[in-house]
Amino acid sequence: MEKRIREELLALFKSKLSRPMEMYLETCARCGICTEACHAYASMPLPKYTPAYRAEVVRRIYKNYFRWQGKTVPKAGECKKLDETIIDELKEAAYSCTGCRRCMVYCPFGIDTQQIMSIAKLLLVGAHAEPELLSLLADVSISKGESIDSFKEGFLEGVKNLEEEVVEKWRHEAGRTPIPTEVVGAEILYVALAGAHSIIPAAAIFNAAKENWTLSFFEAVNFGAFVGDPTKTKIIMDRIINEAKRLKVKEVCICECGTAFRVMSQLSGSRPFKVSSITEVHSRYLKEGRIRLDKSKFNVPITYHDPCQIARNGGVIDEPRYILSHLTDNFIEMSQDPKYNWCCGGGGGLVALGEETLDFRMKSAKVKAEQISKTGAAILATACENCHTQLSNLNEHYKLGMNVQFLSSLVSDALAK
Amino acid sequence: MNTVYFFILVPMVYIAFAVFIIGMAAQVIRVLKKPKLNASLRIYPEEKPRWFWSIFDSILLPTVWRHNKALWFFLIAFHASFILVFLGHLELITEMKWIQLIKHEIFLGKGFVGLIMSIALLFFLFRRFISPTKELSVPEDYFLLVLLFLTVVFGSEMDWARRWYDYGEMSVDAYRSYLSSIFLLSPKIADVTTSGHSFMLVLHVFFANLFLMFFPFSHLIHSIFAFSLNKIRRG
Repeated sequence: MEKRIREELLALFKSKLSRPMEMYLETCARCGICTEACHAYASMPLPKYTPAYRAEVVRRIYKNYFRWQGKTVPKAGECKKLDETIIDELKEAAYSCTGCRRCMVYCPFGIDTQQIMSIAKLLLVGAHAEPELLSLLADVSISKGESIDSFKEGFLEGVKNLEEEVVEKWRHEAGRTPIPTEVVGAEILYVALAGAHSIIPAAAIFNAAKENWTLSFFEAVNFGAFVGDPTKTKIIMDRIINEAKRLKVKEVCICECGTAFRVMSQLSGSRPFKVSSITEVHSRYLKEGRIRLDKSKFNVPITYHDPCQIARNGGVIDEPRYILSHLTDNFIEMSQDPKYNWCCGGGGGLVALGEETLDFRMKSAKVKAEQISKTGAAILATACENCHTQLSNLNEHYKLGMNVQFLSSLVSDALAK
Repeated sequence: MNTVYFFILVPMVYIAFAVFIIGMAAQVIRVLKKPKLNASLRIYPEEKPRWFWSIFDSILLPTVWRHNKALWFFLIAFHASFILVFLGHLELITEMKWIQLIKHEIFLGKGFVGLIMSIALLFFLFRRFISPTKELSVPEDYFLLVLLFLTVVFGSEMDWARRWYDYGEMSVDAYRSYLSSIFLLSPKIADVTTSGHSFMLVLHVFFANLFLMFFPFSHLIHSIFAFSLNKIRRG
């Protein structure tokens, strides 16, 4: 590796050395408690799939260039030089980790492997060795933000085409637009995904609750976060923040997308508006009596997969259960403690990479398939696009025979008139 | 030989303590100088008060209890013994009446504290030879465990000799005379260098010196950062 490139990569590494990161890199005792936490290791017990091993790939570079050990006794810490040979190791570590942070619950120190893997991902970006598709998708999101006028017309036309289906689900009052856009002073800015499934049920529920809402021009998903590029992550996030400020909304409601919710609610610092997941908003509507659900709609056992970024990492744990208590009397918990729920195996950009990662996703999530199967439920609900795709893939691969549904779809289908 | 004994028992002790104190301070200052992260890295659900639960997590290691009870037992036994041994060394510097609320002959634990530490350290060491901990471990991990084991064994041997084998040539007063003189910056080693067991003390101090010098630059820094990291996890 050329000296110039190595120096550029080390500068990127250094840019990630925040206070918590330094402590994460300094503190690990390699006790191995985290090994059992990772779904990949539980499904395929190879040491390279343990969280501590993944972190060591990064830590050994850190020790080599940023600590005394690299300059004195590099062998003591098995310090590693930053060269071409380590790029593959970084890639395997970063893209076999879904960033679910289950290992953080196990670690006696609370070391965040997702944070450490963000260094690996950034180094891959710097070495132009990241999955190209993720960077491409991030760039598309960014260019959309830069030239909003050029796609506005097409977007509005697409939204118009969905309105009929929204009205079919919930016939709202005359004179109101089924899918409002550009509403200055709206209570809620709803940030959806690119796809009717993310807009139609949500719109029907907002209208049923007589909400003063407006649809964002931008999709919620943050491919910058998936690829681990902090600059792109911020640009993509700022498009939504600026839109919310321009429209002077009180609340930004993120659709069923775990990463989008976590980035906006936990990683964006302070904002002049409230950030909620759509699950929280639906739970609130039920508590306030603004919507009612028909329990007779689903007469089969329902289980719920807690998306890692929304539950363990986002704090939305009670709300989906409250919603489900209005949907069914036959709810089956998947995990005794939602904090310990297995990851679906599709996070961290793996699902976005599609077929390329399918084999690994299926093998590494065997333990998840077993957990789902044990519930004996007929409907598997979740509140995250990535999880939904991965769970659908698992359903097919392991022949689980379940009906995988978005929680919001169940709510909109059960709306009592 | 006298020169070697003197070097280990006096200048090396001062060097070790200086390296330990300056090293620990430098590590903490270095980390504190790094920028804060404008993000929340907490794990949910929340439990309040957060400061209480982060101390609880750091001291009682509930996550280890949940997932590996044998390791938890040895970790708690080791760390509790470490505190008792530390208190014992304080008593060698000066008399402390509050520690004697539980009447005992120095050290606390009738020799069993050192034995527990030794067994725990062997457990920590041998589990590193088993996969997947084996693949995670680096030479530094083995080195620190061996170093600490040697420190503990040679230290405990002096305790065991007095208590269990009625060895009387080197008494607690002799150790106290040496250690207190070190802390008063007027070192006196005569009382601890004439006995047949002196080499045990010298080896104990030698390994302890090395351990102190490596401490700030190893993952043993978890003794400080564990609290901050658990606080970050708790939010």
